[in-house]
Amino acid sequence: MKKRVLAALLAATMAIGMLAGCSTPKTNKQEDSSSESGEKVFRYSSRTEPTTLDPSKTNCIPDCEIQHAITEGLVRNTGGEVTPGVASDWTVSDDGLVYTFNLNPDAKWSDGEQIKAGDFVYSWQRLLDPDTAAPYAFIGEYIKNGLAVETGKMEPSELGVAAVDDVTFEVTLEHPTAYFLSMIGAQPQFAPLRQDIVEKYGAEFAADAEKNIYSGPYVLTSAKNQKWIFEPNENYWDKDSIKLDRAELSYVQNQETALAMYESGDLDYSEIPSAAVPTYEGKDNTFRNGNVDYYYFNCDESTGSPIANKNFRLALNYALDRNSFNTLANNGVHVPSNALVFSGLSGANSTYGEESNLESYPLDGDKDKAKEYLATALTELGKSNASDITVTITTTDADSAKKQAEVCQEMWSDVLGINVEINQVTYAETLKRQQSGDYEIAWGGWGSDYDDPYSYLELFKSDSSYNYSRFKNDKVDELLAASQTETDAAARMDLLHEAEQIIIDEAAFLPQAERDVHYLLDEDVKNVKFFYCSVNIDWVYADIQ
Amino acid sequence: MRKYILKRVIAAVLTMWVLITAVFFLIRLMPGDPFQNPKMTAEVRANLESYYGFDKPLIVQYGTYMKNLFQGDLGYSMKFTNKTVNTIIGETFPFSADLGIRALVLALSMGLVLGIISARNRGNKLDFVCVIIAVLGTSIPDFIMGAILQYGFGIKWGLLPVAQYNGIKYTILPACALAFYTLASVSRIMRASMLEVSQQDYIKTARSKGVSELRITCKHQIRNAIMPVMTVMGPTVASVLTGTFVIEAIFAIPGMGKYYVESVSNNDYSMVLGMTIFYGVFLILCNLVVDILYGVADPRVRIGER
Amino acid sequence: MAELNKEAFIIRGKDTTRMENISRPSLSFWQDAWRRLRKNRSAFIGLCIVVLYALLAIFAPMFSQYTQSQMDINARSAFISSAHWLGTDSTGRDLWVRIWMGARVSLSIGLIAAVVNMCVGAVIGGLCGYYGGKLDMIVMRIVDLLYGIPSLIITILVMMVLGKGITPLIVAMCVVGWIGTCRFVRGEVYRIKEQDFVLAARVLGVPDFKIIIKHMIPNILGMLVTNLCMAIPGAIFQEAFLSYIGLGITPPDCSWGVICKEGIQYLRYSPHQVLIPAFFVCTTMLALNLLGNGLRDAVDPRLRGTE
Repeated sequence: MKKRVLAALLAATMAIGMLAGCSTPKTNKQEDSSSESGEKVFRYSSRTEPTTLDPSKTNCIPDCEIQHAITEGLVRNTGGEVTPGVASDWTVSDDGLVYTFNLNPDAKWSDGEQIKAGDFVYSWQRLLDPDTAAPYAFIGEYIKNGLAVETGKMEPSELGVAAVDDVTFEVTLEHPTAYFLSMIGAQPQFAPLRQDIVEKYGAEFAADAEKNIYSGPYVLTSAKNQKWIFEPNENYWDKDSIKLDRAELSYVQNQETALAMYESGDLDYSEIPSAAVPTYEGKDNTFRNGNVDYYYFNCDESTGSPIANKNFRLALNYALDRNSFNTLANNGVHVPSNALVFSGLSGANSTYGEESNLESYPLDGDKDKAKEYLATALTELGKSNASDITVTITTTDADSAKKQAEVCQEMWSDVLGINVEINQVTYAETLKRQQSGDYEIAWGGWGSDYDDPYSYLELFKSDSSYNYSRFKNDKVDELLAASQTETDAAARMDLLHEAEQIIIDEAAFLPQAERDVHYLLDEDVKNVKFFYCSVNIDWVYADIQ
Repeated sequence: MRKYILKRVIAAVLTMWVLITAVFFLIRLMPGDPFQNPKMTAEVRANLESYYGFDKPLIVQYGTYMKNLFQGDLGYSMKFTNKTVNTIIGETFPFSADLGIRALVLALSMGLVLGIISARNRGNKLDFVCVIIAVLGTSIPDFIMGAILQYGFGIKWGLLPVAQYNGIKYTILPACALAFYTLASVSRIMRASMLEVSQQDYIKTARSKGVSELRITCKHQIRNAIMPVMTVMGPTVASVLTGTFVIEAIFAIPGMGKYYVESVSNNDYSMVLGMTIFYGVFLILCNLVVDILYGVADPRVRIGER
Repeated sequence: MAELNKEAFIIRGKDTTRMENISRPSLSFWQDAWRRLRKNRSAFIGLCIVVLYALLAIFAPMFSQYTQSQMDINARSAFISSAHWLGTDSTGRDLWVRIWMGARVSLSIGLIAAVVNMCVGAVIGGLCGYYGGKLDMIVMRIVDLLYGIPSLIITILVMMVLGKGITPLIVAMCVVGWIGTCRFVRGEVYRIKEQDFVLAARVLGVPDFKIIIKHMIPNILGMLVTNLCMAIPGAIFQEAFLSYIGLGITPPDCSWGVICKEGIQYLRYSPHQVLIPAFFVCTTMLALNLLGNGLRDAVDPRLRGTE
């Protein structure tokens, strides 16, 4: 009797537990997968949460990917190929400084109004206006007077952009920029903006899907609860090229979860976490996202740290067996790298990597050479024993970062006999320490916003904001400055290759690996493109067959 | 009683003020700033700092913040620009609360039942089974629990949806994962408390009067034994309802937990403060309710005395 | 049942020499508790497991050919074998050594943090509950305050000041850890102080100090022990959570939390990496719980002298 009562109680409480609760919060209606309803729906996920829907304020890859679908720049960069956007054609002056774009009068906003040259002028001025405080304002420094406007020394109206008439937009650059079109085709900061809409909503502009207006192939119908729903823009000038009926982006932080959702049919595209890559061998595809993992070495000699010694840095570089490192730290999913610049970038004729004849540290490492360099370094540092040296790796709180550090710690103490300590701090603190130079070896890495090696090489330009290594080399500065004015593509690439070689010879940093993203994509989804600058996955022209 | 509540409310307002002030200054001590992008140049950083008023003295910033706070304005998030903290809390809290309530009901009901069964069958097999359940609940970290449930029920057997929140079915796994720890701890405390109570004279009296065991349990033991559980429930209710980082991440629930944790590591100052205020009010309310319930549940306790 | 008849009984008479003997040996409170604990089989098993784990944590890594950070590229995610008794993790590190090195960290963090929190919390909570009034009001508001400040902020700040490592981690946990026990003990004391035996003692003029020692503490000790057994896994978990978000122990040191965290990604592909550390966490907790139950019964003043 007693037991039965208790059992009943138990069952009842379980039932209540499951059914009780406040009313279910409203969620976006979930419809059946594409095949059943006949609708062409593409569902994918991002593991980083997009931060904003305001094109001027975009500052991470997921932001850019959303904007790539909902905004239309002057040109459109699809996987590296530049095609007309709002501008149907354009001319470049002989000195490479003035670009004149003829806008397509059929290009419309989602409310049916024409996209005018003034919308671009407003947007580009807004990007650089200090009052906007756009995190990516620096990308507009290519434009004449860009830096002066950004720092408040000039009015935004003095920026080198002009609307000659409603359909002619003219921009003047600071220096010839070979990759300018490619950049504005992928970076949404250069998208047009409607002044009336932006001013109507003020700080609330683009806070959600309604407080926005769209120039791109898709409009957002919902942007909340960590889900973004895209539908084709009826007023888009090239709407015949758009095949999807809907696209859904979900923010799924946990990669295992995203994979599970793909397997259970809730997603059509998913990245594969590195632990799972061996399991999916043969079923997966890969693309390089342009990110190269490094460790920055603090080359500032005033710190008195052994890391400021060039031979010591060389020893560290030669002691690292990059192939084993990649297997141990990254489960072998990335591609070991001994270079600074991402090899897949466009070179003068083929890719930068193919044209490069960089002489660098062997990928398997060279223990003997490492020990030689260490011996020299020890003499120079006035130390008798390798074990007298202790260096600290400052790294972030991420799993992958920790593993990288552990493998380096193990390899360096094994080969060189030095002591390596690991200081795991928050991402914010890592960046702070890089900026202030309060580190010896720091976690780092770079992905470019535009298809050009300069982006990577700039990390070692002595007056660059990004020179976290505090590296100073006059020859490198000279070469980089020359590359900014050189208009001949091949000659320019030679300058950049030469600069990279010096940086490698000086062992200013520790290259580790180029990131290879392994992903699963439903077989019936066609025409999804991948790119290594700002937009990784480009599904704008995707189709489902 | 009314005087007591009034006193507590005044104390609560004071506590909140101290809390806000403390957090306001503490987060500024944290290393780093909200603008975390390795590509940000010094010029852009300077613009952002003046945009958010960081170039003004800290005390002025504090004054501005408090002034806005009095108007119910928690400010704009510094990471999710264009979104106010109010909006983010408004969007995410319903999900966390919904999940939390389910988990709490489950945890409390099952926990109490298990605790009672365990105490009444002290020392025999049933007790041991309950101990095992409680031990599993308290000793498996939530990230393992969540992942195992997801893998087992979601992927391997395909019984329940894997992740996200699109209906009641979707809440079962995360609610269970969320409830497990609380369930286990409630059952442990209830067991201990029941045993404690069973030694009391009034139980012995009742038993010697010939009152049935079931009646003793229901009428006397439970009512007296539930008090320590209540004490623990105060903060638990507050933290479970405002979301759990790990479970929400594993099941891709768009709840508050993530923002509560990540705003701190992102140094998103306005968000940290907003979350702290929201959670703090919730917590103080829960604790107040618990203290008042003390008096209701146990006539011998007169709150606010001595 | 057999019939009873007179022949079955023998008259033993009275033994006057033993009449005045005290049937129960005179034992102090703790002697009695220990005696009762030993008689409780499951509690004794629990104690044995805890001692065994502690010994293994101290000695096992010393007698292994591997170290906790030594990687083997050819034995990544290897299953249990004669070379690696508990298999290896994804970088080929021996899990047997890592588990016991991790046990050192986890068990000491768990014990120290839990005991410190328990003592501080019990004293403050006891005082608040017993004296009530202004003291109670103020301390409870401080408790609310500490609950309210995101613990992550406190942890990050403590680590910023004290650096990384086990000690700062324990300090960070203790800054806010005691408040749970404090609230709990306060509640219990509130309840007990209204009971008749306390009232009687007070009427008889027993000083407050003595009432607390002699009456309050023994009466809440049982609940406190249960609470302690929950607090140890609580502390181990908190460390695991901090490891989950990357703020735990610094490599090459590891803890059970770290090992679980590293293994969880492999749940589907080589489950031993997470199930083995989880097993040790679970059995430790089981042992502590059994021990706790036994201790609870052993220190219960109302069960004194009973078997």
